[in-house]
Amino acid sequence: MSAHHTLRVALVGNPNSGKSTIFNQLTGLRQKTGNFPGVTVDIKAGNLRLPDGREAELLDLPGTYSLHPTASDERIVTAIFANPADHFYPDVAVYVADATNLEKHLLLLTQLMDLGLPVVVALNMTDTVQEMGMQLNAPALAAEINAPVVCVSGRTGDNMPLLIEEIMRTADKKNAPTPAKPFYRFREIETQVAEAISLNLRVDNPYRALLIGHHFEWLPFLGEEEKATLRAIIQTKSFIPLRAQVDETLDRYDRFPPLVEKTVKKPQSAPENTTDRIDAVLTHRIWGPILFAAVMLMVFQSIFDWSSIPMDYIEAVFTDLNGWLGERLPAHWLSSLLTDGIMAGLSGVLVFVPQIALLFFLITLLEEVGYMARVVFMFDRIMRRFGMNGRSIVALISGGACAVPAIMSSRTIGNWQERLITTMVTPFISCSARLPVYAVLIALAVPSKRIAGVLNLQSLTFGGMYLLGITAALASGWAMKKWLRTREASYLAIELPVYRMPHWKNVWLTVWEKVSAFVWGAGKIILLISVVLWALASFGPGDAMDRAAMAAQTTAAAKNLDETAAADLIAAKKLEASWAGVLGKAIEPAIRPLGYDWKIGIALITSFAAREVFVGTMSTIYSIGSANDELALRQKMKAARFDDTGLPVYSLATALSLLVFYALAMQCMSTLAVVKRETGSWKWALLQFVFMSLLAYTGAWLAYIGASWWG
Amino acid sequence: MQRRYRTIPDLHLHESARAIAFNNPALAGKLTAMGLLPGSMVEMVRTAPFGQAYYIKADGVRMALRQEEAAGVLLEV
Repeated sequence: MSAHHTLRVALVGNPNSGKSTIFNQLTGLRQKTGNFPGVTVDIKAGNLRLPDGREAELLDLPGTYSLHPTASDERIVTAIFANPADHFYPDVAVYVADATNLEKHLLLLTQLMDLGLPVVVALNMTDTVQEMGMQLNAPALAAEINAPVVCVSGRTGDNMPLLIEEIMRTADKKNAPTPAKPFYRFREIETQVAEAISLNLRVDNPYRALLIGHHFEWLPFLGEEEKATLRAIIQTKSFIPLRAQVDETLDRYDRFPPLVEKTVKKPQSAPENTTDRIDAVLTHRIWGPILFAAVMLMVFQSIFDWSSIPMDYIEAVFTDLNGWLGERLPAHWLSSLLTDGIMAGLSGVLVFVPQIALLFFLITLLEEVGYMARVVFMFDRIMRRFGMNGRSIVALISGGACAVPAIMSSRTIGNWQERLITTMVTPFISCSARLPVYAVLIALAVPSKRIAGVLNLQSLTFGGMYLLGITAALASGWAMKKWLRTREASYLAIELPVYRMPHWKNVWLTVWEKVSAFVWGAGKIILLISVVLWALASFGPGDAMDRAAMAAQTTAAAKNLDETAAADLIAAKKLEASWAGVLGKAIEPAIRPLGYDWKIGIALITSFAAREVFVGTMSTIYSIGSANDELALRQKMKAARFDDTGLPVYSLATALSLLVFYALAMQCMSTLAVVKRETGSWKWALLQFVFMSLLAYTGAWLAYIGASWWG
Repeated sequence: MQRRYRTIPDLHLHESARAIAFNNPALAGKLTAMGLLPGSMVEMVRTAPFGQAYYIKADGVRMALRQEEAAGVLLEV
């Protein structure tokens, strides 16, 4: 090993092996989630300090049961281990196994061992083993598999130093020849295939050659020429990979019982049944969904309501800070860039932090105790009709508060297509930012009448907006499912883990990771768009804005307006003359069929930053920017007339059309930024933007035509 | 003529039977990797609230299977 090469250590194990808990124990805050090119699955990387002062890179590979993957999200692990030149190929693999259920964890371990790379086994959950009255004989296992075995507990952190020491010792003797003979004994045909592949592709390890023979069709490091060679090999040998994989798995399993008997002594006691009793209620036909609804209501309440306290505080701090800066800085466009562009963008980023932190605190808690797997089980059928997965329901419900953390939560969906559909349709769910827009428009256009004595027409319209969002989300999911139609089989087949107390360190680290991922990932884009929108509203063609300001000043003087009213009028006229105003007028022909004038056009453009900006922009345009008063705005909007026809702008038809537009349109740069981050490319983010905008336009047009015709 | 096997959806609540085989190799790959093997004792715990999925135990390990996956696991009569 050269001195410049950093030691790379990878954690490998089944889902539910407690791998991530051990990763968190070993690295603490010294970790980052990589969005590695071409990798759609999370690989976390962290720093591991060795006792001799060296630093090693620790990778947390996605949990998988076998090196023969059955779903695309499990392929990454096989792709790494089949290719020693892979960027992630480790010097040492740490295999995490659940000691309470050792037999099921030996499959992947023996596959890994057969690849001939140095492996350290971490026998996890030793605290539970003791509680259950079981006894572990680690040296016996070590002797059987010819690899070091350390008993650890991710929960209590027991023996972590010992594990690190063992990793270092194994890394240092890695150049020693591996004397162990492979665990798995090849059948005749497998030997032939492996030999042919070793010869043709110069693969040094027989089991690696066999793995390539099984999976070359999708292994990313092989070229077309190599694949053709491999195809010819398996054809001449009449090798049937799928069948051979199952035979291999069964052969391995046949040899585990004696191994387990030597390692684990189980007491003669009844099996654990707390989980059964809890599940009798939590997954009950009737109580299950009801309790889930209650849990989700609490989650929704917390991101909708509880987080408003810190959010209001963050906004107040920024408003004060901006006011303070505004008073002290000279009146120059650079000052305005700082206060209205950069600071506004920063506040737009940070204001989401409480919601993201709270949502992930609660979701991680549910995940940690083992409840999420039950949610998938209960709702899989419903969500699958719409191209999603049982887990998607959490994202959709959270989307009712805010699409940004909701989309981030869809990462737990293993199947890429189902995760993509969830990401694409979540923004249709009416989020909290649409509320102020709905509130102004409904109050403006819908009469506060009671129907049948109890139902208020305005409340009904509110409910209708939410229903519209849900319908749009599910219908789009269904359509996307038809459109994407992958050949990859979608599996439910999940383990329902034993209920456990949450591991708090995991919870806090997840919250920390999500918040920082949002601030540094999506935050940059939000800041950028915010500055662009500021520039559009602050600059105009030539000296048009200055002339507009002068003209407004003259008008104000002639009308004898007071200072605030004059300032409001100037702001309104300047906005009209700015590039945003020019754009608003330019798109007027396009939005006229929806019943909008150029003033609404300006608001449509500026509220791309975030929907709630609509209300603020309308206030500025209607010269009440300083009043910040919904009632005043409503009166102004009610009085507004079209410039040419003189008809009122805000008829019921226009208001309904705007409502539909805001319910369906992707008017949120933060969501766009998060979708780009989560899908790894602008492709899906832009597709979503175009699709939602077209749908919103069509929907708004239909609403306008329908309402004009009818009323 | 009597059938020589049943599948998981044929099981009554809390009834157990031994798995013998799988009806397609892809499913076999998935389930054997998870520890549901020919020879495993499969117990029906309950069906999902909205149907089309089963909560089972295979040798004591709890797992959830979709209808078509469950129907692919052949059991002893």
